[in-house]
Amino acid sequence: MQLLDLPSRRSEAWKWSDLRAAMAGQENVLIGSGELGSEGPIAALAQVMGDAYGPSALEITAPGETFESRITEGDAGQYGTVVVKAGATATLVERLGVSGSRLRPFLPGYSRIEVEPGATLVRVVVQANDVAVGEADAAIVLNEAVVKLGKGATFRQFVLGEGSRLTRIETSVEAGEGAQIEMNGVYLASAKRHVDLTSRVAHAAPGVNTRQLIRGVARKGGRGVFQGKFLVERAGQKTDAAMAHNALLLEEGAEIFAKPELEIYADDVACAHGNTAGQLDEDAVFYLRQRGIPDVDARAMITRAFLIEAVPDWVGDELKAEIEARIDAWLGTPA
Amino acid sequence: MLELKNLHAKVVPEDGPAREILKGLSLDVPAGEVHAIMGPNGAGKSTLSYVLTGKDGYEVTAGEAKLDGVNLLDMAPEVRAAKGLFLSFQYPMEIAGVPVMTFVRAAMNSQRKQRGEAEVSAPEFLKLSKIAAAKLRIDPEMLKRPLNVGFSGGEKKRLEIYQMLMIEPRFMILDETDSGLDIDALKVVAEGVNALRGPGRGMLVITHYQRLLDHIKPDRVHILSAGRIVKSGGPELALELEKSGYDQILKSA
Repeated sequence: MQLLDLPSRRSEAWKWSDLRAAMAGQENVLIGSGELGSEGPIAALAQVMGDAYGPSALEITAPGETFESRITEGDAGQYGTVVVKAGATATLVERLGVSGSRLRPFLPGYSRIEVEPGATLVRVVVQANDVAVGEADAAIVLNEAVVKLGKGATFRQFVLGEGSRLTRIETSVEAGEGAQIEMNGVYLASAKRHVDLTSRVAHAAPGVNTRQLIRGVARKGGRGVFQGKFLVERAGQKTDAAMAHNALLLEEGAEIFAKPELEIYADDVACAHGNTAGQLDEDAVFYLRQRGIPDVDARAMITRAFLIEAVPDWVGDELKAEIEARIDAWLGTPA
Repeated sequence: MLELKNLHAKVVPEDGPAREILKGLSLDVPAGEVHAIMGPNGAGKSTLSYVLTGKDGYEVTAGEAKLDGVNLLDMAPEVRAAKGLFLSFQYPMEIAGVPVMTFVRAAMNSQRKQRGEAEVSAPEFLKLSKIAAAKLRIDPEMLKRPLNVGFSGGEKKRLEIYQMLMIEPRFMILDETDSGLDIDALKVVAEGVNALRGPGRGMLVITHYQRLLDHIKPDRVHILSAGRIVKSGGPELALELEKSGYDQILKSA
């Protein structure tokens, strides 16, 4: 494994998240030998580097179970498979975080997830940095999930991304007939942080319902990336899919890059996408200030409300409270 | 209470040249009084309300504006609010994701904090809210919804007055509060406004029409034209204006 194996901005899928450039000078963390296969760089990195841990496999049959995995430290990858058996219901919480390794942390993770017919999976990914900014700046966090949904399966995903030197959280879904999909996310890109939420949903069978809402904010020197693709194949008749990405540039010098894509080959579908990137409405800020709320609090209040609209209730009270607290902490407001 | 002396102000658009809107406006509203400001479109009525409350995009080039003897113009908008200045907006903003009650409580507590007062407790807040909502015939369910989002023009105006009753400001500017209100709603809103009249409070009611002043009876009426007060009088001036129009009055001014 070497630097030249990694995708750079010349690769269309990585044009705003130049992994090769981010890793330059840190090639020493690229251990293991292996080739980048067709599965893509995150899968390859996680597998090649994860050999030390070995693959994990999780099979969920009981209803209502919650599993939690953590990838927090060190220069190793993690990969595994998850199967939610027919009719089962499960919550999978994945925490990707840097908590203070002295080594430059490099965290590639890759999972293959299968949700069998009629089963439900709630997946919550919390990428957060509980360390001083300097250390989180250095971390490279890569995560990819490839999700296969059986007939009538439900997949709900929420991702919180606080970013790092480079964070990319990628999800690719292949939906079976009548599957229900919700894929929400919030990203918070402060100075020197890069967060990339990339997703692809293939509607290859009829009657799939997909809702996606991503909200993000960036400050000066921070970069947020959203790449979302809905593919509706010829067999995907009666697909009902809506994608929305809305971002706020909170300061001059903030960067947001977005590429929403619809690629449709079926003729009886309802597909919509909306994409906005703008600044806080100064008239709204003034309205709050006129009522006595200080400028910084007024901005935080409006921004918080904007972000929290993308945090669904189905993540559960506890996670919802945690995510809101992280948003509050990021905005600098007391919870 | 509110003293404006020879106020000159420019609007400074982000793109485009600055234009002088207020050209030597002087006005004195003593405590306990309600004054009306009437004037044709473009006279500077809304500019006056924004200059007094401190909105960005306006620049005061001369003159002064004092509330209780304190210069307003040096203060941030939130500080002016905590001093008791309240603007009922002509076009209230929609604030997505922030429920009305959450917002109003945050506003009350921000003001109290700035004044060094204790926060309003949850039970006390709910009690006050219930009274204010009943007075204005506001459905309590509405107060749980995001502020002004999807509300009709009339509902938004009612909510402005609801906020006013909750915050209990000392000086109120009502910018075309009657627009968007039908006759019944106008009466309800006016009752709410009148409830706040009192010896320690003052009000500036900006309106195009006499009809609001039938319900909120002013002590004085001023006519604003081209950035200055050109004529002042008692309530009868509003009636005269309604009868003969601005042109006639401005000619004789």
